[in-house]
Amino acid sequence: MSQMVQAKPKKRGGIGEFFSKLWSQKQLMLMSVPIAIYVFIFSYAPMWGWITAFMKYNPKNKNLFDNPWVGWDNFKWLFNRQEWLGVLRNTLAMSLINLVFGTVSAILLAVLLNEVVTKAFKRTVQTVTYLPHFLSLVIVVSMAQNIFASDGAVNQLLLSLHIIKEPVFWLGEGKYFWWLVGAINVWKEVGWNSIIYISTMTSIDPSLYEAASIDGAGRFQKILHVTLPGIKSTFVVLLIMNIGHLLEAGFEIQYLMGQNLVIDWSQTIDVFVMKYGISKMQYSVGVAAGMFKSVVSILLLFLANFIAKKLDEDTLI
Amino acid sequence: MTDTNLTYKKSKRRQDIVFPIVNAILLIILMFVTLYPVLNTVAISFNDGTDALRGGIGLWPRVWSFKSYESLLSDPATYQAAWISVSRTVITTILNLVLTSMLAFTLSRKEYVLRHFLTTMMVLTMYVNAGLIPNYLLISKTLNLSKTYWVYIIPTMFSCFNMIVLRTYISGLPEALVESARIDGAGDFRIFWQIIFPLCKPVLATVALFVAVGSWNQWFDTHLYNAGKPYLHTLQYLLKMKLATTQASANAAKSTADAMTSTTQMTPITIRCAITVVSAVPILIVYPFLQRYFVTGMVLGSVKG
Amino acid sequence: MKKLLSVLLMLALVLALVPAAIAEEEPITVSVFVGNPREQPTPDNKIFKKIEDELGIKFEFEFLAGDLDETLAIKIAGEDYADLMDGGNSADTLINAGALINLMDYISEEKTPNIWTHIQPYLGRLLYDDGSLYIIPNFGRNYNAQIQNYCNGPAFWIQKQVLEWAGYPQVKTLNEYFDLIERFIAENPTNEDGNPYTGFEILCDDWRSFCLRNPVQHLVGRPNDGDVLVDINDNYRVEAFVIQPYAKPYYAKLNEEFHKGIINKDTFVQNYDQYIAKLSSGTVLGMFDQYWDFQSATDALVTAGMDKYTYIGLPLVYDPEYVDGKEIEEHYLNGAVINVNRGYGISVNCPYPERMVQLFETLLSDEWQTILEWGIEGEDYYVEDGRFLRTDEQKKNSQSQPWKNANTAYALMDGLPKKQGTRDDGNAWEPGNQPELYFDLMSDYDKDFLKAYGYKVPADFFNPPIELAPYGEAWQIDYVNEPDVSIAETDFVTTQMKYLPEIIMCDPAEIDGKWDEFVQAVEDIPISTFIDYMQEQVLKLVEKANGN
Repeated sequence: MSQMVQAKPKKRGGIGEFFSKLWSQKQLMLMSVPIAIYVFIFSYAPMWGWITAFMKYNPKNKNLFDNPWVGWDNFKWLFNRQEWLGVLRNTLAMSLINLVFGTVSAILLAVLLNEVVTKAFKRTVQTVTYLPHFLSLVIVVSMAQNIFASDGAVNQLLLSLHIIKEPVFWLGEGKYFWWLVGAINVWKEVGWNSIIYISTMTSIDPSLYEAASIDGAGRFQKILHVTLPGIKSTFVVLLIMNIGHLLEAGFEIQYLMGQNLVIDWSQTIDVFVMKYGISKMQYSVGVAAGMFKSVVSILLLFLANFIAKKLDEDTLI
Repeated sequence: MTDTNLTYKKSKRRQDIVFPIVNAILLIILMFVTLYPVLNTVAISFNDGTDALRGGIGLWPRVWSFKSYESLLSDPATYQAAWISVSRTVITTILNLVLTSMLAFTLSRKEYVLRHFLTTMMVLTMYVNAGLIPNYLLISKTLNLSKTYWVYIIPTMFSCFNMIVLRTYISGLPEALVESARIDGAGDFRIFWQIIFPLCKPVLATVALFVAVGSWNQWFDTHLYNAGKPYLHTLQYLLKMKLATTQASANAAKSTADAMTSTTQMTPITIRCAITVVSAVPILIVYPFLQRYFVTGMVLGSVKG
Repeated sequence: MKKLLSVLLMLALVLALVPAAIAEEEPITVSVFVGNPREQPTPDNKIFKKIEDELGIKFEFEFLAGDLDETLAIKIAGEDYADLMDGGNSADTLINAGALINLMDYISEEKTPNIWTHIQPYLGRLLYDDGSLYIIPNFGRNYNAQIQNYCNGPAFWIQKQVLEWAGYPQVKTLNEYFDLIERFIAENPTNEDGNPYTGFEILCDDWRSFCLRNPVQHLVGRPNDGDVLVDINDNYRVEAFVIQPYAKPYYAKLNEEFHKGIINKDTFVQNYDQYIAKLSSGTVLGMFDQYWDFQSATDALVTAGMDKYTYIGLPLVYDPEYVDGKEIEEHYLNGAVINVNRGYGISVNCPYPERMVQLFETLLSDEWQTILEWGIEGEDYYVEDGRFLRTDEQKKNSQSQPWKNANTAYALMDGLPKKQGTRDDGNAWEPGNQPELYFDLMSDYDKDFLKAYGYKVPADFFNPPIELAPYGEAWQIDYVNEPDVSIAETDFVTTQMKYLPEIIMCDPAEIDGKWDEFVQAVEDIPISTFIDYMQEQVLKLVEKANGN
């Protein structure tokens, strides 16, 4: 009903109409435009820095335009490095693994918690599972390296169950690397990531559960028909957002775990840039890589958003 | 017909008995898996540093020592820094809650003419990064915020991610709430402040947690802008420095000849664990207060009619 | 007596001069950036208070918590320099950016006699082509005799108990070393607690992978030149030693030991903490490393009373069979190297450069050096029969970080030019080198161990330091301002860290193929970018040294 009322002036168009509408929304504007200006200053104004991607930038030149122009050379340097494609592949693979398993595990935990009736138990589980979020990755990776060592807990368990005959060299063979990173990420963040879904579930109208019960729905039916639809918009919005972040596979964990034996599988864009960017006086290469990431991210974002719109789902933008 | 109904009921009963048990077992296993490393970290933090180097500590310290905590907490600078950290966290969190939810509300209004433009502009900030140097020059030179307390507040008043989370939540609220208020003659600001904002408690609690944790754990801004001003150091910065110093002295500059005499009782391993505990404890204390909102849930049914 | 008198006279002179010089100068606060992590000195720090009282100078420190290169880049971009800048290992970036002033404008034999005496012997190495100097080196300037109690640098290390078990043999070559480890492990597969021994560890974590990359240069009889070997007999020819034919036997030997179970494959994936944990548990018999790198493990072993599991450094060389029957003379210990371009520079933002140089000059006086190195007599050390000594209490203090924050100026001192070696009165300039203090801390086990060999200090296992080559040590040569060289070097290190473990672990039949693949990969970098640059720089330094 309300939307139909809203839609009418749009059809008629007209500049006067538009301004009168603008005037009627002055409170909304007062509440949003100052924040937009703030965001512009802090997020968009520094973007002049992107032009240094086309220079051989050295911070010692006080006048920006004293830096020589080099066209696309910095991008070419990046894309021509023989490991570049591998780096791109690793980044995408690890963030995909992270996206899929991270999201699924967080939703699963949230759903399971939502089914718990005892409040104290619910709170305890929730508190305990989010604790690892506060451990530094250095500690976490160190523990993981002990667990996955040749004589570590995982190998011992598998050996005693006769699943394997020889200890597996988890840390030294590239093919395991992505999955180890995925497992560590899931373990560390599952509780934290589920918080957002748990809080969304609180907005589900309890009468929906009652109605479902009256209709004779069991636990699984209720989860399927009430809980999951209740968090769908949050899920879709976060999914679109994360698809835009597919080139952000992280830095620290790969840096800490990526011994050179597995470097062909471990190096991500961020690790690569850290190795060959500022520390090699290649400021511009770092900027170029950042710019490449931004552009790809935005393309991915719009693509995901477009698909969501076509499917009639909630959208981010 | 009666037959199917019966089996349906039976299976439902089985679900109702079996499911909670399986569920509880699963969650308990998960708790164990997550708790062990955390308790291990706590145990190591209370262990003698040199002894901890040998590894193999489980859930209980092998050689008790409070040296790590002593070195972290005995420094008077710690308390000044803790004060800075607490105050910046509180201020930043409050500002974020207000600004973020305000913008989220306006962008949830389907009729708002600037909605699409502003949403796009906000969302893109999550994906574009100008790089360290331009950001530094903006804050330090153009806005002249370095060597001030304001550098902790002003650049971090707003977060797009949280805004989107809030907006999604607000969009899920019944449209009738806004409509009826508008019929009563309420302006947009009043609708936001008196109706929407209070209803957002669960998600505001979540956002508050995100912002507070982010702000509390921040050390990089101190490092960039306020490193030369000890009275503006934050706790995380001090802790980071402690850790870096312990690491550096463990690496021992090759020319300092103190090698033979440097038997310290702290090592990066124990210090790191103690730092983890020290920085996590305040959050753990605040957490239950926030958790109440997003675990318990609210009754929305009444307003839905 | 005469000497003492002259020292006293000097002291009196200095004492008389200092207050007079200060009286006319305003008290100032100097901002200091230190490119290393340090804890802030306490506001009432004893030594800083003394400096403030007597010289009218207060310091405001900024220490490094993040990444050095990133931090310097930002400071350069914003021209946000402190008055004194210690750029750590990347100080050349500051010099290149024009952040530091030329100190030679303020240094001369008349105006700054202490500094002049300090740098004069090294001017050839220190001055740029245009005669400028930006940093007075913080370390490596030895007065009188250099004191060497132990080897702080690279060596092949072995647990003392292994040598004890074998009856204190002299172990000189690679084969003898591994042979001993093999025999020991065959007879003692586990330690007293039943934990199995690991024969040899190779640390491959990040930059610490020098444990994997560096040994060959020492095996052929050269001190530490980093990634390259400089042939001093062949017109200082520089080569990447790790791809030369003479490097292959070392890695082939490691391959052999790997298949004998002396080396464990986990060694290639463990991080530094795990490595230290393993060493500290006493189950590792040997490794190639630099002493300071595993210092904390030694501390842990000593604290646990496991002295026999601590390590002694051995200067191994190749057996003649690996090098065409040549007998190689070991040269692990090198002459003292002046720490070029490390320490404080005075930034272009500093309003009082002259006074800063005078500060360095004053603090380089014998009186201040004693205060900065040893502390205050009676409080931090005492003098007995002319020897500087410390009570147990004072020793304990000197190891306590909170105490140091309140009672020493180490935060400032690290970057200052300082005197090392021996004082005119025979004491060591640095407390850590004072032989009495060193012996005091040595355990009975260690004393007996050395006695069994007829040695006094661990350094006796090594030949005395050879004369420093005219180019210094090649790892000092900087390429922070040469992106191409620096990228080639990074690729070089990465390639070694990727291929060498594979070579060590591969089927012995495949070694030749793997080795050729490795050499090819290194040459494809192309490594010549790096080697040519190093060659050029080495020759330049030699020429400079000979010119002076």
